Amino acid sequence: MTEQVTAGKVAPPPTQVARSGPTIAGRLPRALHPGAWWLWALGLATAANHTTNPLPLALLVAAAALVVVRRRTDAPWAFAFRLYLVLGGMVVAMRIVFRLVFGGGQGDLVLFHLPEIPLPAWAAGIRLFGPVAAEQLLGGFYDGLRLATMLICLGAANALANPKRLLRAVPGALYAVSTAVVVALSVAPQLVESVLRVRRARRLRGATGKGLRALRGIALPVLADALDRSLALAAAMDSRGYGRTAAIPASHRALTGGLVLAGLVGVCVGTYGLLDATVPSYLGLPMLLTGLTTAVVGMLLAGRRVDRSRYRPDRWGLADVVVAGCGVVTAAVTAAAGSVDPARLYPPVSPLTWPELTPLMLLAVVVAVAPAWLAPPPPTRTAERTSTPVTAAPAGAIRSATPGRDLQREAHR
Amino acid sequence: MTTALRVAPRTAVVLVLASVAALAAFSWPFFVPARPESMARTTEAPLVFIVVLPVLVALVLAELSSGGVDSKALAMLGVLAAVNAALRPLGAGTAGIETVFFLLVLAGRVFGPGFGFLLGAISLFASALLTAGVGPWLPFQMLAAAWIGLGAGLLPARLRGRVEVAVLAGYGAVAAYGYGLLMNLWFWPFSTGADTQLSYVAGAPVLENLHRFAVFTAVTSTFGWDTGRAITTTVAIVLVGPAVLAALRRAARRAAFDAPVTFAVPPPTAPPGDRQPSGP
Repeated sequence: MTEQVTAGKVAPPPTQVARSGPTIAGRLPRALHPGAWWLWALGLATAANHTTNPLPLALLVAAAALVVVRRRTDAPWAFAFRLYLVLGGMVVAMRIVFRLVFGGGQGDLVLFHLPEIPLPAWAAGIRLFGPVAAEQLLGGFYDGLRLATMLICLGAANALANPKRLLRAVPGALYAVSTAVVVALSVAPQLVESVLRVRRARRLRGATGKGLRALRGIALPVLADALDRSLALAAAMDSRGYGRTAAIPASHRALTGGLVLAGLVGVCVGTYGLLDATVPSYLGLPMLLTGLTTAVVGMLLAGRRVDRSRYRPDRWGLADVVVAGCGVVTAAVTAAAGSVDPARLYPPVSPLTWPELTPLMLLAVVVAVAPAWLAPPPPTRTAERTSTPVTAAPAGAIRSATPGRDLQREAHR
Repeated sequence: MTTALRVAPRTAVVLVLASVAALAAFSWPFFVPARPESMARTTEAPLVFIVVLPVLVALVLAELSSGGVDSKALAMLGVLAAVNAALRPLGAGTAGIETVFFLLVLAGRVFGPGFGFLLGAISLFASALLTAGVGPWLPFQMLAAAWIGLGAGLLPARLRGRVEVAVLAGYGAVAAYGYGLLMNLWFWPFSTGADTQLSYVAGAPVLENLHRFAVFTAVTSTFGWDTGRAITTTVAIVLVGPAVLAALRRAARRAAFDAPVTFAVPPPTAPPGDRQPSGP
């Protein structure tokens, strides 16, 4: 028994190696680029958006769940997927309950009658309950299931992608903001330690207050402590060159600022054009996209002036491209299935018909689930621990001594 | 009143333009026209705005920090966002207890509108990263919270003492209801579906859709959840507001954001300090 445990700590257990099939990147466990998981998940969500057929939707949820179960790490965010499943169930239930209570989507096949409650005129003259038709409930179920599937796909991305590494992929113009987010993420656990320290100090002084008084006695010192800590952190950041302002020529700033401004004006005009049916159509979506592109180009140009070095940059390997490609192909195949056979992707609720699968839909689901085998296995907890011992530190007492270095380490985790 | 983050005129213009476009992303159900092709696929309009809004938020955040953020302001932002992100899960389980807004309002008041805007956005972003809650709702939450922080910074500067706390408490209540309304408005088309009696009607007069939305929000959350949130925020501001304001003002004074930085020639005896600070 002990032998097995120690063996398991040194290398991944042999069963896991045998279980995962042939992968492209070989047997080495590694974390994928977070962008790859997000692209895969967004591809699945786009595919789900293209159909209300419950069969492919359920298969997509199953595919996402299988990939999550096989490829998630044991990081805290990896267990969020269950919450997204619950959330998806709530969305479906909400849609159906809304249709039960407020009607809509009338149909011929009335299942049962609920007593009607007409509301007064100030409530838009709506009536509650009334006859409940099968088509009405089924329509709500289809719509809700589509939205729930999209949510669950995003939940898969949340569970699989490391948010801290995703943060490092932000463009240079958002460097200051992402630094603040990294500070927030690394300070949050330290607050717990701060609370414990203040409570211990209170007890040593013999303070035994309970309730609101105790809350004030703890919360305010913790806040003051956090604010003092932020000044120490700023000094540490200054000495390490964080948050410095580079000298940017005025002409360059004027150019990027002008691009952003012109782009935003375009976005405003495009939004108006999109929502007003009387203006010509080129003022709608095309204008919106042009304005958005212009503004983003301005932002990226401004970001190129921010000098920053990268430690251990995330690279796009073959496996990352393949996983992202699986998402894109899933979306593309579903779109193709929709153009070939729209009636199967949007099964009509009246007359009631049994939803059917087509080969193209099945192909999309197969591509969607492929990363469960194609992606390299995630690094195990033991490997993670040897590379970043900070994760195992209980109270973060070591961290607060050197805030700047801790920040650096946190950014590279 | 200190300003931890200067908002240049150009930044203000960008902020206003982006906010106008973002308001459309919230309130499009009121204005969406009844085109036959858009009725056929009602999912397209929300998707456009779901794609556009994160870009808008990124643009505004980049523009606000483009002049270079003081490292003290950056650290203060991070720490306060951490406190907010730690406070947020405290109320999540209990209906209507919302613990985020009071610190956001107080910090926006002390550190100014630009800082408040960034703090609102960063707090919710950090909280979403901590709780794995990244999704299409996040940019909408970030922007609504950012507006709350911005508004708190724009309140009249001269007020002090009890009047200030009363004004802040009132603002907190209004902001809590406003946040609830905006979130309901965003989720309205998604929660009801297309054709219940509470759904928006494409092409109907704005007033009729407003009426439907008012009924929807009253039925679902305004009297329960949002009222709880307003009460929590107000009570928290009244109870701990003066002490928190004092702590924040002390930190702002110690940080000395407005102090001009001058470089003097070092005395000749000192060793030449020509080492460049190393990059991150």
